[in-house]
Amino acid sequence: MKLAVCVKHAVDETELKVDSSGRPLIEGAAYKMSTFDKNAVEEALRIRSSVGGEVTILTVGPPEARKTVKEALAMGADKGVLIIPGTATGDSLRTAGRLADAIRKDGPYDFVICSEGSSDTYTGQVPPMLAELLGVPYVGYARKVEAKDGGVVAERALEDSVETVEARTPLVIAVVSEINEPRYPTLIQIMQAAKKPIEERRPDEAGSAESRSAPTVVSMSAQQAARKHLIIEGSPGDAARKLLDALRKEGVL
Amino acid sequence: MDEPAVWAYSEVESLANEVSGASESVATQLGARSEVVELGQLRGSVQASGGKLLLKSGSGPGFSSETAAEALRRAAEKLRPTAILVGSTRDGREVAARLAAKLGVGCISDAVKLTAHGDTLTAERSAYAGRVLATIECKFPNVVTVKPGLFAWGTGSSDRVEEFDVGDLPGTTRRTGRVKKEAGAVDLKQAKLIVSAGRGVRKKEDLAMLGDLAKQMGGALGCSRPLSSDLGWLPEEHHIGLTGLTVRPDLYIAIGISGQLQHVAGMKDSKIVVAINTDKDAPIFQSSDYGIVGDLYQVVPALSSALSGTKRA
Ligand SMILES: Cc1cc2nc3c(=O)[nH]c(=O)nc-3n(C[C@H](O)[C@H](O)[C@H](O)COP(=O)(O)OP(=O)(O)OC[C@H]3O[C@@H](n4cnc5c(N)ncnc54)[C@H](O)[C@@H]3O)c2cc1C
Ligand SMILES: Nc1ncnc2c1ncn2[C@@H]1O[C@H](COP(=O)(O)O)[C@@H](O)[C@H]1O
Repeated sequence: MKLAVCVKHAVDETELKVDSSGRPLIEGAAYKMSTFDKNAVEEALRIRSSVGGEVTILTVGPPEARKTVKEALAMGADKGVLIIPGTATGDSLRTAGRLADAIRKDGPYDFVICSEGSSDTYTGQVPPMLAELLGVPYVGYARKVEAKDGGVVAERALEDSVETVEARTPLVIAVVSEINEPRYPTLIQIMQAAKKPIEERRPDEAGSAESRSAPTVVSMSAQQAARKHLIIEGSPGDAARKLLDALRKEGVL
Repeated sequence: MDEPAVWAYSEVESLANEVSGASESVATQLGARSEVVELGQLRGSVQASGGKLLLKSGSGPGFSSETAAEALRRAAEKLRPTAILVGSTRDGREVAARLAAKLGVGCISDAVKLTAHGDTLTAERSAYAGRVLATIECKFPNVVTVKPGLFAWGTGSSDRVEEFDVGDLPGTTRRTGRVKKEAGAVDLKQAKLIVSAGRGVRKKEDLAMLGDLAKQMGGALGCSRPLSSDLGWLPEEHHIGLTGLTVRPDLYIAIGISGQLQHVAGMKDSKIVVAINTDKDAPIFQSSDYGIVGDLYQVVPALSSALSGTKRA
């Protein structure tokens, strides 16, 4: 079984600083593996342990994204491919195109596993776009995946329901975080990961897909509402009464 | 040539009205027509100022995000709408991304505000777990998903119905089952008061205590993502935050919720925020007006009895 996991090197939202005018400082921000991509890696490892095979990590990102690829290798993936684009754009279709190119070149992969959305931009666009570009079945918001006779049976977590779907491989899957509990690499695994191969590719072209009208971020501002930050002291009973008084004065009760 | 059109689509009926409202305002700014697109059959409850486009398929009803995207592509390549607005549900986001890939156009996710000028659409959306409001520009044509609960319903209506036959729509995934989760009694998006439960609640049964408090206060029960997703204690549609609902009640009471960015993203526009948490350093207190540092198992009953006027020992 050949498995690929698409892993994003994402801005660490918890470390993001904001300047005096409220603008976030994206340049110089810290990066980390996109949170839910750990679940995607874990799911690939889980499938590998039940049916055998090889797990390849695919990342489109700057040279520094090697750190994220390494982290996925430390979790247990077999090898990594880091695709370093000449120019970075916010165009998901371009990212999906580059992933599709790598998948066509090295594949076919039975499973391409992504997550529902990246922790920094959370658009959820790349995985369905990737399935479209590859022309393969797609299972999004997967909360349970079972590999079975050349296909999968999966559960999709929707807002008001859970769907069971079946599809044949090769396919693209996007997992939700509740599908599993990602493992933490041990120190030994982290050391061993240093020996696992990471191939860097620097495609000189834009890749096989690009949108005619790529969305561009023109400005950003920090969102924060001013709050009163009042702590109400006292026994639970006292605090409860004081709180209700305050809320009545605010006119919200 | 027909006048240009902005399309509104959602597989969820109430959301289709919100998307129709968003589409109407964009269309007005462009001097275009706002059209609601429906698949398979017309839904009487959805209003459209510029009429409806009904996509008919030989494959019958039961559209998946895969076949819905293909139906929209076939219609769009022929009828060339200026923009396609899709309600941002989990299925809706898939439809939009697939459609954008098929058409090779830009895609903006979870717009909270939309304006149009000339050949460009300007959208606002949250980024970086809600810390940042990003303004994004994208030339027409494009595909946009619209965040639920934020756009007013359209006000216009028209009886005009156009039909378009999209032909057969083969799919590559097969749905073999669907289990509906029990629905919540109250619409959280409309609620003026929300009591919201987090991981500080130890077991599912204890949610009743918070539900009762919500009822006493005339509000609804919400939750953080782990309660609906990981633990499955409440339907997904109760979960508030970046990946769930955006709510703006007059009063939001976060109980046993740590206040991570992704949760705050969904409730930060509440008028008054109250937090109850045992950890005085929990980040939720940074996002609150009033806080009680204490055990919810003591504070919630105390609130209940103070509300019902009974004295507690
Ligand atoms: C891309 C992405 C999207 C996400 N989207 C969302 C989203 O939409 N919504 C969302 O909610 N989360 C979301 N999350 C998850 C989010 O980061 C947090 O993990 C989550 O909000 C934590 O939920 P919690 O506060 O209930 O649990 P915890 O963080 O575990 O907090 C529990 C809190 O309860 C307190 N507590 C414990 N016992 C008691 C007691 N007896 N009385 C009072 N207080 C007590 C603790 O002090 C603690 O602060 C997302 C994460 C990612 C990466
Ligand atoms: N630059 C990237 N490199 C590899 N995978 C990516 C990249 N961007 C997005 N993905 C994959 O697509 C998922 C959804 O990301 P997004 O569409 O950005 O919300 C991520 O969780 C990854 O699995």
